[in-house]
Amino acid sequence: MILFNGTLFETKEQNRLLDELPSKLTDTLLHQTLDRENVIRAFDNISQRLAAGEFESLLQSVDPDSASLYMDQIVRMMSRDYLQKKTEIEFHGVRNDNEKIQTQEVPLGVIFHIAAGNMDVLPIASIGEGLLAGNINILKLPSVDRGLTIQALKMLVDAEPALKDFIYVFDTPSSDIAAMKKLADLSDGIAIWGGDEVVHAVRAFAKPGTRLIEWGHKLGFAYISGYENEETELTELAEHILMTRQLLCSSCQVIYIDTDKYDEALSFAGRFLPYLERAFEKHPIREIGGVAELTLRRYEERIEKHLHGDEASEDKRSRFQGQHTSVTVKKDPDLELSYMYGNVIVKPLPAKNLADVLRKSKGYLQTAGLICSPEKRDALTLQLTRCGVQRVTRAGHMSSLFEGEAHDGEFALARYSRFINIEN
Amino acid sequence: MSFRSKLFSQKKIYNLEPTNELFLRAMKENCAFHYAHCEEYRKVLDGEGFSPEDLASFSDLAKLPFLPTLFFKKHHIYSLPNRRLSIKVTSSGTSGHFSRMGFAWSELWYALKMSLRVVSKRHLISLRPCNYIVFGYKPNRHNKTGVTKTAFITTLLAPARHRTYALKYHDGKYEPDLEGVIKAIEKYAKKKTPVRFMGFPSYTTFVMQMMEDRKAFVQLPKGSKIMLAGGWKQFYAEEVEKSVFYDLAKRVLGITDDNIVEFFGAVEHPILYCDCPHHHFHVPVYGRVLIRDVNTLEPVPNGTPGLVNLLTPLVKGTPLTSVMTDDLGILHDGSTCPCGQNSPYLEILGRVGLKDIKTCAAGAAEYLDKGGLK
Repeated sequence: MILFNGTLFETKEQNRLLDELPSKLTDTLLHQTLDRENVIRAFDNISQRLAAGEFESLLQSVDPDSASLYMDQIVRMMSRDYLQKKTEIEFHGVRNDNEKIQTQEVPLGVIFHIAAGNMDVLPIASIGEGLLAGNINILKLPSVDRGLTIQALKMLVDAEPALKDFIYVFDTPSSDIAAMKKLADLSDGIAIWGGDEVVHAVRAFAKPGTRLIEWGHKLGFAYISGYENEETELTELAEHILMTRQLLCSSCQVIYIDTDKYDEALSFAGRFLPYLERAFEKHPIREIGGVAELTLRRYEERIEKHLHGDEASEDKRSRFQGQHTSVTVKKDPDLELSYMYGNVIVKPLPAKNLADVLRKSKGYLQTAGLICSPEKRDALTLQLTRCGVQRVTRAGHMSSLFEGEAHDGEFALARYSRFINIEN
Repeated sequence: MSFRSKLFSQKKIYNLEPTNELFLRAMKENCAFHYAHCEEYRKVLDGEGFSPEDLASFSDLAKLPFLPTLFFKKHHIYSLPNRRLSIKVTSSGTSGHFSRMGFAWSELWYALKMSLRVVSKRHLISLRPCNYIVFGYKPNRHNKTGVTKTAFITTLLAPARHRTYALKYHDGKYEPDLEGVIKAIEKYAKKKTPVRFMGFPSYTTFVMQMMEDRKAFVQLPKGSKIMLAGGWKQFYAEEVEKSVFYDLAKRVLGITDDNIVEFFGAVEHPILYCDCPHHHFHVPVYGRVLIRDVNTLEPVPNGTPGLVNLLTPLVKGTPLTSVMTDDLGILHDGSTCPCGQNSPYLEILGRVGLKDIKTCAAGAAEYLDKGGLK
């Protein structure tokens, strides 16, 4: 399905619509200004209808797991209060008028969003940011999109027809390089949600001068150095791990324990497993495809080790396998990806070594969930941010949404805008 | 007479329970053979603390370490010297990695006997000539994939008057020629000779949809059949239901659902599965299927989805004794199928996949592949 000018078209119309697109875009750029109030009103309308349960069946049909988990967040992200606050904060202080020259923020122009499918609402959020900055937005749907995005954007346009010339959605597969390049050529900026491979691919076909806004992949971790309330904090961390299935950039992959003793890490792992198992009961994982792939991958790695005569794989004491989840203890301190879906890694890492370890992963740092005694919090937070961490939260809130927060250390709206100067 | 030979001489192909003991012995024989002749296989079994002698009862088969299909893509391993391998078959790799399996002459003979018994259940062997539409690759000396070979072999079940291929080798690569296929279908429809379609379901669907869009409906001669192989893998993303496929075949080609026969097999597990008239893949005596829990890899009871583990003692060329596929499936009790076969039947649900869950996860997966920060 394609959304073009507020109307839905079949995929097979793609090339005809692509031919029409350049003149449509130029026409809109020259003659229309998108009023931010219209954008906020449209999203707020959808947010209210969502809260009233209007789209319940649609969401349930798409992804019952996430629908219930993220509903409150989605409603809030689209609300007037949230969006107004976001624009106030992100554009705050850019005007620096003096008598001779004035500075204005204007839209970047046309933004091509290459969205990812790890969260169903992500493509919509990306378009929302583009619209708030006043841009024309072209969205390439993630290949796994199950129809939610295009339906939601159609509703948005129906609710606020002023948006129709500012939203285009194509379900072009990434393999259709010709179409992807055409869309990229028409754009002033490309917002890329994806891993290194996607970023490399886009960099290869984007013209120099096109602004690339890369929301690359990141790894989250928790750091534990004492507790305020152990029971509550570990419960919340375990629930965060199961709720996000460790698929998000902010999800916890590794739990570092402030110690240089391997045995302490082992003892923590043994204690933490029951928390994970209980969290699974609360947030069961039904996507067996992903779980299966990671289980297979782990098995393959084990088999490979036999072949190369490595140590009879890992220390048998290091793996704590529950019914649905697991904890693996490793001696090396490096930040790495876990096997996800409730399979977390625990490593000893004394605070004095934090910087050496984290600096090795500097491009990939995002959220650190910090569990510690109150008197240590400020010092550890400072240490983490100085190492390049972008967000420090309580461990249970690693993936929570905070009003007005930046994304990966940047404000998106500023990246989707140009700041122009005009002499008086 | 080896246990393998006895197993492959079984004529009642869905007579599972009574052959369990024979199957176990043949597996033990096969496992011991590979253990003695394939260094990699021996290392894996040793590493897992398993010896062929541990196969004492039928339930021990679940404890036999399995090799994942990815393993065969990374390692081309053989238990027989080259001169004793009749052919090496390459799997149709989609990711740029290919697995290569070696087969001895003896297993080709067993495979042929097995295949003839399996296909004769669906009355596919006939002396009446047919026109063939092969939705696959036209064989050439550069192509060693199993799919190409099986697609070609199936055109021998009934004498071929003419064969049309959907994928043609041109300038070093394969190109689909679907227009050519449609022309051939229209030409064959005017004749009395039955038409047989063979190959990937995705292409077959695509051609039928093209014909439907053009309102080019035909009624193919009586006795025409669609034989599907190569898996429904390409379908998962599109989620085309089989019933949609059957309706389309009836509408566009005039082929009814009882004339649609589907095969399932893989180079890593060269046992031919053929669907019953109710389109279920019952497990033939030559192999066994274990469904394993996606977390613990322990076998699960029938009716529970999990990873599909395929076992057979057929092959001596490469240790394909117990192979773990990338597929998720369910094994259903045979009694739930009205066709009367008691053998359980395998339903493939789809491929395991992180690939389809993008961004942080997939990005992270790439990261893992590259070894990340390690």
